[in-house]
Amino acid sequence: MFEFRNVVAKLRVSFRAIAILLFTGIFLATGCKTSDDAAAAATQMSATAKSLSDYYTALNTILANTEQLYILNEQLLSKPYTAENRQLLKSNEAELAKRIALAADFSTLASEFAKLTGSTAAADVSASAIKLQTEVDGLAAVKASTNEQNLLKSALQLFVKAIQEHKEREAARAISDFSQGLTALFIKEGEVWNSVETVYSQIAENLAVYLVDKEAIDNSSLLKVALDPFGLTPSAAAPELKAKLAPLAKQQITARKTALDDSYIKATDAMTKSLQEMSKRIQAVAEDKPMAFRMPPITVANVEKWASQVESY
Amino acid sequence: MSDVLSTVQATFLSLDSQYNLLLAACKNTKQKDALENQYAVAQKAYQMCVDNMLSDDDAQVAALSAQLKAANQAVSQSVTEMGNISKVIDDITTAVTLGAKLASMAPFKP
Repeated sequence: MFEFRNVVAKLRVSFRAIAILLFTGIFLATGCKTSDDAAAAATQMSATAKSLSDYYTALNTILANTEQLYILNEQLLSKPYTAENRQLLKSNEAELAKRIALAADFSTLASEFAKLTGSTAAADVSASAIKLQTEVDGLAAVKASTNEQNLLKSALQLFVKAIQEHKEREAARAISDFSQGLTALFIKEGEVWNSVETVYSQIAENLAVYLVDKEAIDNSSLLKVALDPFGLTPSAAAPELKAKLAPLAKQQITARKTALDDSYIKATDAMTKSLQEMSKRIQAVAEDKPMAFRMPPITVANVEKWASQVESY
Repeated sequence: MSDVLSTVQATFLSLDSQYNLLLAACKNTKQKDALENQYAVAQKAYQMCVDNMLSDDDAQVAALSAQLKAANQAVSQSVTEMGNISKVIDDITTAVTLGAKLASMAPFKP
C-alpha cells in the first residue's frame, strides 16, 4: 500500500512536471498569431499563386499565337520569319517557361503552407492532443484534484495551439521574403509582358484587316443583329454586300483589339494588386500582426477572366 | 531600358502595318529584298530587346528560385517537426496513460 502511495505521489509530481514543461513550451512560443490568420493567408496565397500561374500560361499562349501569326504572315504576305528570329522567340518562350515554373512552385508552396494550418500534420497534433486530453480526463479515476486536471488540460490546449502557431509564423516568415521578391519581379517585367501582348494584338489586327481587304472572310455574321430576332441565319454574303460590310468588319476588328488590350491591362493591374495584397497579408502573419481581411483578394477574378479569354482563342 | 523597348517595338509594328503598301510600291526585286530584309531586322531587334530584358532578370529569377526552395524546405521542415511533436505528444499520452493505470490500482489519498 505504501508503494502505491509513493507511485501516486510520484505521478502527481510528474503531472506538475508536465504542466511546467507545457507552460515552458507556451512561453517559448509566445506572441504567436491565431491559426485562423495563417489559414486565411494560405488560402489567399493559393488563389493568388493559381492566378499568377494562369497569367503566365496565358502569356505563353500569346507567344505561341504570335509565332503562328508570323508563320501565316510569311506564307500570305512574304513577311520574312527567319530561323534566327524563330530562335529568339523560342528564347522568349524559354524565359517565360522559367516564370511559369516559378509560379507552379509557388503554388506548391502555398499548398505546403496550407498543410501547416489544415492538413494532416496539424490534424495529427490536434488528434494527439484530444487523445491526451481524454487521458487527462481519465485521471479522475485516480482522484487527482480538479485543479490539477484543469491545469493539465489548459496547458495542453495552449501548448498544442502554440506549437501550431509558432510553426505557421516561421513558415510565413520563410515565404514572406519570397512573395515580396516575386511581386517586385512581376512589376519590373510588366512592360515586357505588356509589349508581348501589344505586339500580338497589333500583328493579329494587321493580318485580320488584310484578310478583310482580300475578301477572305465571311462577314455575314455582322447581319445577325438584323436576322436573329426573326429566327433567320445569314448566308455567305454576296461579293457586293461583302464589300459594303468590310468597313464594319474593320471597325469590329479595331474595337475587339482595343478590348483585348484593355482586358490585358486590367488583368495585369489586378495581378499586381493581388500579389501586393498577398505579400502584405503574409507579412502580417509573419510579423504577428492582425489581418484585416481573410477573403482572397477579389482582384484575382479579373486575372482569371482574361486568362480564360486568351485560352479560348 | 523601357524606352528602348517601346521604340524598337514601335518601329517593328509600324513596318508590319505598312508592309503591304511598301511592298506594292517596290519596283524591282532589289527593293523587295531590301524591304524584306529590313522587316527581318526590325523583328530581330524587337525579339532581341525582349530577350535581353528577360535574360537580364535571370539572376533575379535564379535568386527567387533558390529563395523559393529555401522557403519550401522551411515549410516542409515545419510540417515534419509538427509530425515529430505529434509523436512526442503521443509518447506523453502513453506515459500518462500508463501512470494513470498504475495509479488507479491503489486508492488515492491526498
